[in-house]
Amino acid sequence: MTAVLIVALVTGAILFGIGVYGALSQTNLVMIMMGVELVLAGALVNLVAFWRFLHPESYSGQMFVLVVMTVMAVEMAVGFGVAIARFRARGSVEMEEAEDLKG
Amino acid sequence: MGAQAFFLAVFGLAAIGFGVAVFRTSSMVRSALALLFSQTAVGCMFLVMQTEFLGVLQIMMMATEMSIMAIFMVMFMMDPGGLGGMDMTHQKRFSIGAGVVAAGAAIAVALLADWGAVTAQAPDAAMQTRELGHELLGRSMLIFETAGVTILTAMIAATAVAIPVQNLASKDDKEVSQ
Repeated sequence: MTAVLIVALVTGAILFGIGVYGALSQTNLVMIMMGVELVLAGALVNLVAFWRFLHPESYSGQMFVLVVMTVMAVEMAVGFGVAIARFRARGSVEMEEAEDLKG
Repeated sequence: MGAQAFFLAVFGLAAIGFGVAVFRTSSMVRSALALLFSQTAVGCMFLVMQTEFLGVLQIMMMATEMSIMAIFMVMFMMDPGGLGGMDMTHQKRFSIGAGVVAAGAAIAVALLADWGAVTAQAPDAAMQTRELGHELLGRSMLIFETAGVTILTAMIAATAVAIPVQNLASKDDKEVSQ
């Protein structure tokens, strides 16, 4: 019976790992954002699985999913805003060339 | 339950496969499309888990988000088609290690934790939508409103950041010279 839950959780965990790899290894800002999206997708899978298989009577779980989807949308909006500003200023969104942002 | 586990595994494998493809292809447009397919597979997993509203929402949201991402890729990348075969990665070994450790730790928790009894029956779709509506406009209204205001703030902030900065000093010089 718990096999279904385990399948969902393992999928979420692997998506999370792929996202962490992408966010750390990519040099392009948009590709880094893609990694973060995969991390959040992994979290979403886990949240839905927890709601469906452990607590379907409480809708706070679905509410939490909506909050994470909001975070995804906000991340995209702000990320693209920063990308446009960076591209205007330096003509590139390569993070290797953004060492001047170091404190 | 057997069919549910099977389809969950199929869509899970699709999500993972396309997720890997995002960072394997050298074409940035293909990366955005692979992410779109991965997120759609995640939406299909939601549908298999009988959360119809969230599944459809996930697929619709990600379809628009990833289409915009593909456009940005074409606009900003030096080599959006990937024909130059540029390597756009750094600290690869560390990143692979971090990804494997993160996924391994999460899998270990998933396998070793005692999750208790699993509920076989989910509420039907109409009931879920109704109860989620009550949750959004009742107990969780403050969180829901905060999420809405946060999105609005992010939209304004993103627009403000993206607007080109005018060089006021040179504008003043121009006015003086005229």
